[in-house]
Amino acid sequence: MAKWKLENLNEKIWNFFASVDLAVALFIVISLAAAIGTVIPQQLEPEATIRFFSKFFSMDTSLKIHEIVSLLDLNNVYHSWWFTFLLFMFALNLVVCSIDRLPNLLKSYRTLPQALSMKVLESMPLKKQLILSDISHLKEKLSEILKRKGFSVNVFDTPEGIQLQAKKWSKTRLAVYLTHFSIIVILTGALLGTFFGFRGHMNILEGTALDFIISDEGKTIPLDFQILCEKFEVEYYENSAVPKAFRSYLKILQKDKPVMINGKDTVILEVNEPFSYGGLTFYQASYGFQPTEHAEFRFTFLHEQDRKIPIRVKFEEKVRIPNSAVLFSVIDFSPALGIDEEGRLFNMTTDMINPAVLVEFDNQGKKTQQWILKKIPQTWDTPYGKLRFDELWGAQFTGLQVRKDPGVPFIYFGSILLCVGLFVSLFLRPINYFVIIDKNKVTFYSPTLKGKVTIEKQLEEIIKKLKGEGK
Amino acid sequence: MSYQIISIAGLIYIIAMPIYIIYLLTKKEKIGYLGTGALCIGVLIHLFGFIQRFREMYEINHSFIRSIPITNLYESLVFFVLCLVLGYLIVEWKYGKKGFGVIVSLIAGIAIGLTELLGVTKEVQPLVPALKSNWLLAHVTLSFIAYAAFAISFVAGLFHVLMTSENRKSFKYILSTTILAFMFFLILSVIIDMATVENQKSIKIFHFTLGNSSLFVAILSWSALLAFIFVFWRWGEVIVRILKEFKIDANLLEEITYKGIAFGFPLFTIGGLVFGAIWADQAWGRYWGWDPKETWSLITWFVYAFYLHAKFIRGWSGSKTSVIAVVGFLVTIFTYLGVNLFLSGLHSYGSM
Repeated sequence: MAKWKLENLNEKIWNFFASVDLAVALFIVISLAAAIGTVIPQQLEPEATIRFFSKFFSMDTSLKIHEIVSLLDLNNVYHSWWFTFLLFMFALNLVVCSIDRLPNLLKSYRTLPQALSMKVLESMPLKKQLILSDISHLKEKLSEILKRKGFSVNVFDTPEGIQLQAKKWSKTRLAVYLTHFSIIVILTGALLGTFFGFRGHMNILEGTALDFIISDEGKTIPLDFQILCEKFEVEYYENSAVPKAFRSYLKILQKDKPVMINGKDTVILEVNEPFSYGGLTFYQASYGFQPTEHAEFRFTFLHEQDRKIPIRVKFEEKVRIPNSAVLFSVIDFSPALGIDEEGRLFNMTTDMINPAVLVEFDNQGKKTQQWILKKIPQTWDTPYGKLRFDELWGAQFTGLQVRKDPGVPFIYFGSILLCVGLFVSLFLRPINYFVIIDKNKVTFYSPTLKGKVTIEKQLEEIIKKLKGEGK
Repeated sequence: MSYQIISIAGLIYIIAMPIYIIYLLTKKEKIGYLGTGALCIGVLIHLFGFIQRFREMYEINHSFIRSIPITNLYESLVFFVLCLVLGYLIVEWKYGKKGFGVIVSLIAGIAIGLTELLGVTKEVQPLVPALKSNWLLAHVTLSFIAYAAFAISFVAGLFHVLMTSENRKSFKYILSTTILAFMFFLILSVIIDMATVENQKSIKIFHFTLGNSSLFVAILSWSALLAFIFVFWRWGEVIVRILKEFKIDANLLEEITYKGIAFGFPLFTIGGLVFGAIWADQAWGRYWGWDPKETWSLITWFVYAFYLHAKFIRGWSGSKTSVIAVVGFLVTIFTYLGVNLFLSGLHSYGSM
């Protein structure tokens, strides 16, 4: 008796995990939980979270709400134990449901088709009856029509008449299990990523190299190679502060020697075009302005027609203009020089939208000053020749996103399976017809509920053909 | 400019709505053709405007694939309307029923009206570096085709829920009539708001109706909304009767509801979620980050997965599942517009 009870309980638990009801309940609960996470600010300092609530409630209430929120991990929903538990239940539900149903489906493909009883047929949602005047070769004609439409046809003799079973795309029922399996693959990938991967960032100053990553948790992760940022540049749309593109020119250094990647020693990293090295993937994420000691102003002195002489100077360093006694130095710099309504110069942002330098010339004690703008050639003309300002090198850093995630191949593979599974199971639905031919009376049955109108239409077509050829 | 051409198309969609209403009331076949004709002309002008905008984008970006105008809120709303009306015309042609034209032209009108009232920029903008990817085309177009399929499913589902509800006190009846009433109120409000625009830049939705600075007009508008809801609630069965006179029965409505989701769900999965994840993986270095847009897409996905699974549960056939289809589209709207308006996140390209 006890054993029977235990088996009964086992079965109950099994059925619970195999049920569609559990799946549906999980859809709702996970959705609600996920929605909460988009409303309550996530992963913020307690003060910031309380400040958020105090916008809607009094301070006392906000503090109490914050207590409840942090107790239930509502400020960190997606990484909380209970959300992970829900996802685990979701996966378990998928696995158990598949183990529960798949064998029966597979068995149904292996067993030979059998004639169905009238009781089963009569319970089907779709039924259509017609009386034909011409009854010669009805069975052959109908089989022919169905076969031409891509159905496989089985014929049985039953007491009620001849039973025709027509099936099409019955194997596509398997696609549902492919879809379910794909979700397991994706969740496995996510799990691998959580346990064996990490994310971090590195800000490399132009002209310097870095050999460590700061992880999102704030830990320093050393690398066994160095990344050198040789050059970083931002392109802007014309007359606009909207960046068009930004890119880093990087070198991977092993023991101070550049490593060749795809036959080149320099990697050009751009947004949307990551590159991988040493099991890590690097993404161009951000950039910023950070003037340093080693920054240098790069000019070109345009001597007469063809001669171009490059000049590199540090801030306030005095350099002689070629073939003259004039000294010049950079005494001010603006990454985005603008002119306000009263004609005064001011700096708009720290982005290098419109870089300009204030240059001081010293012609044997006679000092003059002049702004030179990179983008405006008229300003390159000076009393001592044409001096083009090219760039300020070494004053910007490139922000790289770094990631290691061994789960990604699983994600991609799972995604492909998911798409294939969904397309097959929703676009190629199995269609079954059962036909009883009793003398001149032909009755069609179909067990399919979904797409009833379309099936009725197809059935009408078949009947039309049957009648048309019957005449 | 392209947006002026598209505005004309929007105007034609709005005009198509009363034509469809007259058709339903008079049952004159000719007027029905007039409604369909109006939508067809609207689509043609819309397509012309779309191509025009493509050219304007191409002049800036010089890339064929990256010049499809779907890069900000205005362009995506307009693209959604194009997919919706085209999708509806296919459904109308396939099933030979014109009854949904009213609601489809109404949704199209509201969407085009929103582009005027949300203060979104209609100018062609250069692409920011993050959007410069070939995934843009695949991710955004497929998502919006799916949204349009969900919208058609919503229209059929709404009628299905209304048709199969037992009495005026049932939840299904109140839900469906209230949504219908609100939609009709919304389109009227949108038209009035557009007609009373004074300052193009500081314009807001409901600025002349529910949110009018004059308390009297505001109260009047709120009462009008309540009156709309009452009228639809009181005479909702008239709609059912008219639909039945046009041989639109519960089976057909259920089928169109299902077909819309069966078509939209795989497209949404591949275009919205999978391509979105791949792109996020390449641009931001993670395929999933619980960004509000991502999270709400997943919620939308769960709602429609719920719909598909509910069909397997015994006793859940019929209008119960259609309620999910209706809710599904409301969630879809939130995923698309609500997230941009109320929640911040990485998908800020679609913001104001």
